[in-house]
Amino acid sequence: MAQVTLKNVRKEFGSFTALESLNIQIESGEFVALLGPSGCGKSTTLRMLAGLDFPTSGDISIGDRVVNDVAPGKRDIAMVFQSYALYPHMSVADNIGYPLKKRGVARAERDKAVQAAAELLQLEPLLNRKPKQLSGGQQQRVALGRALVRDPKVFLLDEPLSNLDAKLRSYMRAEIIELHRRLGKTMVYVTHDQLEAMTMANRIAVMHNGRLQQFDTPDAVYNRPANRFVASFIGTPSMNQIDGQLTARGFGVAGHIVPIDRSRFAPDLADGDYMLGVRPEFVILGDGPLPATVKLVENTGHEQIVTLELANATRLLARVEAGRRIDVGQNIGIGFQADALHLFAPGEDGVRLNIDTSASVIPMRSR
Amino acid sequence: MSATAPSSPLLERRYARLGVLLIAPTIMVFSLVIVYPLLAAIYLSLFSIYTPTLDGEFVGFANYMELLTGKAFWNSLYVTLVWTMGTLTLQILAGVGMALLLHQNLWFRSLARSLVLFPYFLSTVVAILVWRWLFNDLYGAMNHGLMQLGILDMPIDWLGSMPNAMIGIILVGTWKYFPFVVIAVLARLQTIPEHLYEAAKIDGAGPVARFWDVTLPQLRSVLVVIILLRAIWDFKEFDLIFLLTGGGPVTSTQTLSLLVYQEAFGLNQMGQAAAYSVGMMLVMLAFMLIYIRKTAREI
Amino acid sequence: MPFLRTLAFNLFTWTLVLLIAFPLIWMIITSVKPQTELFRIPPTWWPETITFEHYKRLLYETPFLIYFRNSVVLATTTTMFVVTLATLGAYSLVRFKYRGRDTLALLVLFTYLLPSVVLIIPLYLMMVAIGLSNTLLSLILAHTTFALPYALWLLRSFMEGIPEDLESAALVDGATRMGAFRDIILPQLLPGIISTALFTFILSWNEYLYALVLVNSDSVAPLTTGVMSMLISAFNIEWSLLMAASVMMSVPLIIVFAFLQSYLTSGFGAGGVKG
Repeated sequence: MAQVTLKNVRKEFGSFTALESLNIQIESGEFVALLGPSGCGKSTTLRMLAGLDFPTSGDISIGDRVVNDVAPGKRDIAMVFQSYALYPHMSVADNIGYPLKKRGVARAERDKAVQAAAELLQLEPLLNRKPKQLSGGQQQRVALGRALVRDPKVFLLDEPLSNLDAKLRSYMRAEIIELHRRLGKTMVYVTHDQLEAMTMANRIAVMHNGRLQQFDTPDAVYNRPANRFVASFIGTPSMNQIDGQLTARGFGVAGHIVPIDRSRFAPDLADGDYMLGVRPEFVILGDGPLPATVKLVENTGHEQIVTLELANATRLLARVEAGRRIDVGQNIGIGFQADALHLFAPGEDGVRLNIDTSASVIPMRSR
Repeated sequence: MSATAPSSPLLERRYARLGVLLIAPTIMVFSLVIVYPLLAAIYLSLFSIYTPTLDGEFVGFANYMELLTGKAFWNSLYVTLVWTMGTLTLQILAGVGMALLLHQNLWFRSLARSLVLFPYFLSTVVAILVWRWLFNDLYGAMNHGLMQLGILDMPIDWLGSMPNAMIGIILVGTWKYFPFVVIAVLARLQTIPEHLYEAAKIDGAGPVARFWDVTLPQLRSVLVVIILLRAIWDFKEFDLIFLLTGGGPVTSTQTLSLLVYQEAFGLNQMGQAAAYSVGMMLVMLAFMLIYIRKTAREI
Repeated sequence: MPFLRTLAFNLFTWTLVLLIAFPLIWMIITSVKPQTELFRIPPTWWPETITFEHYKRLLYETPFLIYFRNSVVLATTTTMFVVTLATLGAYSLVRFKYRGRDTLALLVLFTYLLPSVVLIIPLYLMMVAIGLSNTLLSLILAHTTFALPYALWLLRSFMEGIPEDLESAALVDGATRMGAFRDIILPQLLPGIISTALFTFILSWNEYLYALVLVNSDSVAPLTTGVMSMLISAFNIEWSLLMAASVMMSVPLIIVFAFLQSYLTSGFGAGGVKG
């Protein structure tokens, strides 16, 4: 089991830069998610790891060898595609056995390996069927079987769950997590679904416009996002973003002041325009310093998501416990949990300015 | 041969080389039988060559002067345009009409489709043999049938006089080639979602309105391509007209293709024929560019 | 009443269909009419007697079978040659990246639109110069001028319909590019290859102009020029014989239509004439 290293990897398509100097090191046995919106470069990265696409410059290493010039079949990897890419004219058994056939493994041994993979994924009754006779979930498991059977160093998975319905998706998520736990292989998993990344990965590489935004654990990415993009991308509902001015008295929004603990930031942080970030679960409704009007209350059963509007038309979301009565049109004062505030520099990728300890932040109401 | 940037990975370059290797035989054949003859034709057009002996002498642009000032080229261009526009219009109208009919639930629909498709795949030789037999002034079924129906009192000489000969070739051309339009339009019709028609019906549109406002716009992109293809193929058609009328009576159905052939193998002037063929290509190119520019702007 | 409307529609459409098919029906009818009945004025719509004497005469007393053999050899060889080249070429154009690839594709498209008339003169001179005039080989080469671009265009379309992921998966599984081509792509491409082969065969079988110019002896002539020479050389035009010849010439076409029509129509769809 090996590391995967991308060193200064750059990808250009003509005049369009898809990836800008990417540097990532994945430890052996790690489950890493490449997360980002469409077009961020995550699939391109995966394909380059597989050898299906080539970097314009930079090195890709698997284990301790540079594999830029190594054919996909010789990189000791396996890949699961979003479309499953099962060979339509072959049976399930032949599909799973194909990699071994290419390796020159004898028929008897091949059959044994196929049998083992089929047992692991509960595919035995389907071995003689053709892919088009299988359901989406079954096809997905065949794709997994085909990847497993070669016992590779690295597993590459390209949004394998996007074509499944919601229920199946959460079932397969658990299956893949379990698989990783059992086999301990290095896995690189591409997804645009932040929930998948958060629940499955040891570390998440958040990407945007071809640049790596942050490469850290789910906890870090959630509670200590590196910049505005990561802050808004991770978490559902997303983090509230409030523009305002930082002054000596605190953070000024819509003519009111929100208290800010300056010790959480660099001592030389200048006053000026910044963006305040606070997650909905840390918004406190009651008699806080910011007056707001309730615009919408969405009851999900176990909580309520309240949309509030400030005097300057900025909208915020707050998570409120289920039992509490909140009326639309109600005027209410908002406050924020002091240890859950983030400040971001202006601009789309504005850097987060907090100086952190590594302690996680817990919402007050669940203390 | 460097098929990619020199700094790209070895693997990428290997793939590129394989790609070039796979297309190389095709390119070689192409160069031999298409590119070289094309260039040779242009070269030959500068000579005066006597076909049976292949003796030739350089005459510069004399052949092109003859082309521009003589009557033959312009007459043939006119004939070609009449033929092309006539048969193209009928092919499209008949093709779209028949496709609409075949799109409905017809009894024995597959059989009907096979019968309608057949003329397109038939050998032109067979097609004109059959039609010449049909057009025969004494024994032909066309004359006989039309007389029985009371449309004619006397048999017509279909291919030996004008404008009958032009009508004759347009008719046969339409019969032979309209199935191409049928198939392409039918394929497109089958992809038009039913709910578009349903929405139109709810809005109160009758069958004619539904055709104009739903079907036709959907067909537009296919028709643009089909019209271009059929226009090109009809313009350069040789076999059908040559075998049906030979260009006659006199030169009244002598299209540009036939002109080139006659000049080379009838009048034995190969160089002049080559010049005519170059002229023909330039005309085609001009029309194509105008057409493409016009339709690209609308899309 | 809806049934009346359906009936009217069906009658109307089928009348049109039969009118379109009439020339072919008439061809068959004429070919089985005895000589005596043939030249009657007015002609009979349905044969009074059916005879196969014309077919017998065609097969035994004319060079028809030689022409038939020549056409079979010509069309088959052209098809195998063209389809092989075009399959590899389509793979190259669709799944490989190299400098000039798109220009090549455009040029291929362009040649598709060239009139044969432009090419026959130089081709004729070329065949004479290399000593191939009046041979089937010259025709095979000449046929590639129109068959290869068309086959390439068709196969390229079919190729694009095969998901790229399949080949990627095969590569990751350890196949070489040609191995992936053989194991994965060819089986998927098979219907497309059959479709293209049928089209190419028919195009080659029906071709007339090149045969007219490049070949002038009976032993090498294919059906198209051979049968036409039977028409011209005869003192009295032997319509009955010609109709029988026409029916026989169309035999491969009828076979294809009867059993393989779906391949032909899918070729149309793939030919890029999509919306």
